[in-house]
Amino acid sequence: MIHCHNLSHSYSSKVALNKVNFDLATGEPIGLVGPNGAGKTTLLSILCGFIRPTSGSVSLFGHKPGASALNGKVSALPQDARLDPSFTIGEQLNFYARLQGLSSQQAQHETIRVLDAVALKDSIKEKPDTLSHGMAKRVAIAQALIGSPELILLDEPTAGLDPVNTRNIRTIIADLSPSTTFIISSHDLAELGRLCQQILLLENGNMSSMQLNTSEQDSPTRFITLQMEACPATEVMTQLKQLTGVLLVSNPQKNEFIIEYNPTIESKIDIKILTCLMDNRWQYRQFSQGKTLEEKLFFEG
Amino acid sequence: MTSGFLNATLLICQFELKRLFTTRKGLLYLITFAIVWYFILLYPIRFSAGLFEQNQNSTQGSNFFEFIGFGALLNWQIPEFGVYWRFALVMFPLLCITIASDQSCSDRERGTLRFLSLRVSRDSLFFGRFAGVMAIQTLLILVTVLTTLILAIYRDINLLPIALNSASAITLNLVLVLRPFTAMMAALSASVKSARQATVWAILIWSFLAGIISGLSYYLPALAILKILIPGYQMADLSQLAEWQTLELAYIPLLQSLVFLSIGRWIMSRQSL
Repeated sequence: MIHCHNLSHSYSSKVALNKVNFDLATGEPIGLVGPNGAGKTTLLSILCGFIRPTSGSVSLFGHKPGASALNGKVSALPQDARLDPSFTIGEQLNFYARLQGLSSQQAQHETIRVLDAVALKDSIKEKPDTLSHGMAKRVAIAQALIGSPELILLDEPTAGLDPVNTRNIRTIIADLSPSTTFIISSHDLAELGRLCQQILLLENGNMSSMQLNTSEQDSPTRFITLQMEACPATEVMTQLKQLTGVLLVSNPQKNEFIIEYNPTIESKIDIKILTCLMDNRWQYRQFSQGKTLEEKLFFEG
Repeated sequence: MTSGFLNATLLICQFELKRLFTTRKGLLYLITFAIVWYFILLYPIRFSAGLFEQNQNSTQGSNFFEFIGFGALLNWQIPEFGVYWRFALVMFPLLCITIASDQSCSDRERGTLRFLSLRVSRDSLFFGRFAGVMAIQTLLILVTVLTTLILAIYRDINLLPIALNSASAITLNLVLVLRPFTAMMAALSASVKSARQATVWAILIWSFLAGIISGLSYYLPALAILKILIPGYQMADLSQLAEWQTLELAYIPLLQSLVFLSIGRWIMSRQSL
């Protein structure tokens, strides 16, 4: 679906992307993460055809970004893009739908459908300036859903949204996948962990890829992440280390413990850990298999 | 050229017309234009036409108009259209610089062009906006020409056939005259960040390009031909012509539009959105 070869982009003297290579296939949502200034928005802008790469090649469905063949096939939520303040939201989404080849009547239905999907059907006659930041973001997401795009690129889709609407957007993405492939740039790692099977990490203009479901299967040791209520950290670590099969216990953040264990020595380690917690009357908040995405991406040694 | 390209260009053009007739900014522009035009029609055109009509057949009157540089107006069969022609040649290019200054710049700065470019080619966007602004100006020209025609036939209904002929010649010519100005604004709008910047650049180009080319052609006379690239280069000669003779110089705005549209299209295709 997407093929990037030695893709580089620089702004004056600052390198945003440095010879990035990757191939992506259609399917489950793909997460794009990286620190601020890592080049995520630059990469998405190149894929959308908004900017031209300094060097290297990129193709989407066999076409260069911005090619007419991709019109309506690739959709996006660009960062900080705003609608025209002179027209109502309905008029503009209707116009976008017409440009995608829909008839006047189909465009009207499509406008109502996508605004309903982001719970903004009642704002159809409002102008963009009257909307809050979160509502404007939802309208921008709605325009990305017009028609039946095969690839949707979302740059920070839930930044600034309230929890109810964040969940709503997550549901939309989950419902449309895998017939529509999403590439989601976000700093919300918990959200990406819920939605994505593959994560692309951009750091200092360089890219690496990670498959979330396979990374621990091949490893001889596995991990459990334990989030506790207030507890004596040193004592918890001492008690957990004494369990058979536990290799290492670390305490990366307050009340959070990562337990590395060998499943061939003790296959029912989860039961053992929970029993240990119960015996010591320690309350846990969350008990999950594997490391958090944050640990995997940014703190793994 | 595919039907998809033409459909998209037409839709964008229609949306620009909608911007003029349905948005507050567009309606405000129309009302202002109507008021200004009403006063131009009522006083300068009506009174000047009366004056020309009285002196058209007198040698003394003709000499006076020749002396003040308006002798060419006497070549028009209907004086109202002669005066209109002189007014229009100044008024519409000036209006064009304001009305055509924001063909893409504010949408690009706001990010709206990103939404659009995901659905249509940049060529469709560029030519659609250009066509939209040209359609708006054509409508304004038609309205002003029609009101002038009504003024003329109100004076003498027998002038209708001649008036229709003059009106057609003027409309066609003005549309041609405005093409290079609109194309220049399209190219500038694709390059700068705001409508104001586009207007300032247009005035600078207009003012200094002629001076620079004249200066260069002093040393290298062959370069004088570059003057043909300055929008409005033919206006002084054009104002001396009447009726269908005015089409003699139509090749100049057509050539200029071609050059400016090619430059604008090239800028638009490479511009970051």
